[in-house]
Amino acid sequence: MRVAVLLSGGRHPVSGAAVVPRLEAQAIRLAAGLGPSIGPSIGLHAGPDASALAEALGQGLGHVEHIDLPATADPVPALAARLAASRPDLVLAGRRGHGGPESGLVPYALAEALDLPLIPDVVAVAFGEEAGTLRLDQSLGRGALRRVVVRLPVMVTIHPDAPPPRPFAYGQARRGRIEAIPLASVAANEAGPALEERPYRRRPKIVKGAPAGGSAAERLKAATGEAGSAAKGRLLVEPDPEDAAREILAYLRRIGVLAPPRPLDFGGR
Amino acid sequence: MTRLRRDPRAERAAMQVDAGGGETRRPRYDRSVRRTPGGRSRRDPRAERAGRRVAGGPRLRFDLCRAVRIEGPMPSEAGHRPAPEADAPTILVLEDPAFLVAVVPDMPGGRLSVHDRQLLGAARALAGRDGGVALLALGPCEGAGPAGADRLVRLDDAEDYDPAARAARIAAALASLGARHVLFPESLEGGDLARRVAVRMGEPLFSDAEVVAASGLIRPARGRSVEQRAAPGLLATVAADAVAEYAGRPREARALAREAASVATRPAAILSARRIPADPATVPLALAEFVVSVGNGISDLDSFRQLVAALRATPGASRVLCDAGVMPRQSQVGASGTVLAATCYVALGISGAPQHLQGVAGCEHVVAVNTDLHAAMIERAGLAIVQDAQAVMPALLRLLAREAAGQGTVS
Repeated sequence: MRVAVLLSGGRHPVSGAAVVPRLEAQAIRLAAGLGPSIGPSIGLHAGPDASALAEALGQGLGHVEHIDLPATADPVPALAARLAASRPDLVLAGRRGHGGPESGLVPYALAEALDLPLIPDVVAVAFGEEAGTLRLDQSLGRGALRRVVVRLPVMVTIHPDAPPPRPFAYGQARRGRIEAIPLASVAANEAGPALEERPYRRRPKIVKGAPAGGSAAERLKAATGEAGSAAKGRLLVEPDPEDAAREILAYLRRIGVLAPPRPLDFGGR
Repeated sequence: MTRLRRDPRAERAAMQVDAGGGETRRPRYDRSVRRTPGGRSRRDPRAERAGRRVAGGPRLRFDLCRAVRIEGPMPSEAGHRPAPEADAPTILVLEDPAFLVAVVPDMPGGRLSVHDRQLLGAARALAGRDGGVALLALGPCEGAGPAGADRLVRLDDAEDYDPAARAARIAAALASLGARHVLFPESLEGGDLARRVAVRMGEPLFSDAEVVAASGLIRPARGRSVEQRAAPGLLATVAADAVAEYAGRPREARALAREAASVATRPAAILSARRIPADPATVPLALAEFVVSVGNGISDLDSFRQLVAALRATPGASRVLCDAGVMPRQSQVGASGTVLAATCYVALGISGAPQHLQGVAGCEHVVAVNTDLHAAMIERAGLAIVQDAQAVMPALLRLLAREAAGQGTVS
């Protein structure tokens, strides 16, 4: 089984140095966690800068293919052509590549171009019971998971809740090699919406429960919890404990955090 | 406030007594006759004070926050908190919208989440006065009108997990709707759906917008060092907690007729999908959806643990119990513990110190059970019960056990 990991041109948020983005390092670890039977995974990077690729080798990649592409070019055709030639069974990517427009569209565009199914936000990868299948645990947020069994080949994006990346290994980074892939033609980035750039400005936090266009007094009320649920809240003074229990359960069911008393029967047992 | 003008002559005439005799007799008046009630009646401070007295309890207590004058003693029976009487707002009907802004919410469990309502607020900002907001709901949807939707398109949701087919159905529905803008939430599911739809339709996607206005969308880029601004295009995703919810009059949410588009999809590569719910006992408190918390008003921690297990909630505690060592430190809720992002918070025997309330500030629904009517937690709660939590917990356990045995009634 061949595994490819898509690498983007990450920048350290403080120093600005070229780094492997954390999600992609986690993807390398997930691929390595599949065991020694799959062989070393291949990194694939399309971009002008190859300085962080040695670090990706140190995270556990066997070798990295680098397509030299101008920063303004669209990486999808070049990556799709390379992946179509090498036909990996599993393609891993971060949720959102760094360095480009950072819209997170590249894995989806590649999956469409290669006609692969895409499973997003995966935190664990294992082989399925059947040969040629993979069992993926997908994060649904708040600790919930969805266990998906897919037939290979498949494209997968990684969620930050995946296990942390392995420590950098210097010897591995020295042993691995970076291969430059010649490029047939450069496709210019499609003219998207005209973007105007400015220094980032923090926006004021919206106060939950405050109406849009309300006065400062209303915002203060919402911030201190006097508006919203408290204002139209229900107050029971010294009720019978049984009545209180019934009220609490009815309230919890109305807001949907507690399942109804008897689950609906869907026919099966 | 205007008082009636006094007329002293008429008052005197009303008090005059006809004592008999001729005109030589001097007029006689009965001063004990009460004057006609006009204007404000006289205050009775002692009766007011007695009316503010809180019944029950060994200590003399007064409810001084009551502004209205009470004639009798305060009722100790169950009752609603006096709410401002608002007449039902009329529904805003938009007959012929100039254009449509479509919204595709997540709707976890068939309800609009906070993020979904913020998305509708963003769509309302884009639609302005002339445009209409159409909500594309997979499955049934309640409360779309008050959240700001003018039209409602209901699509049938497939039972099994097939995101590609779902995106194809959404794309087909969007193509037949002909919306000018389409907004998705930048959440796990919504962001995935938006990107699939964008690739399928071949349209650019403006992701993670933090400012949504008809004049332009703004998103952070390159590690929040710059922000990018563009005129609103067809597809955009909106970040969480960036745009305020719609707060105007409720809209109509008229159901739109829709022709069932048959979408050809390739055979699914997904062989099976199974949802594994989070284990509430082990999920970190900051991620928990439903937290039941215990405070100093409770000493019976065994029934608290049983209750938490029966409700399938995550246990929390106040600082006092964590300091005393009866609850683990990682279960502490508040400024020095965990700040919650839960949907519902149940506070048992917690009065609600300001530091504790900071941890609860993000919770949408709060239930409080406390013996103190004047506790801050009672003030904060959506359902506040002034009762001993030690007595309510066994009652809750009994009720849950009865329901589990199949004798329960839906109240």
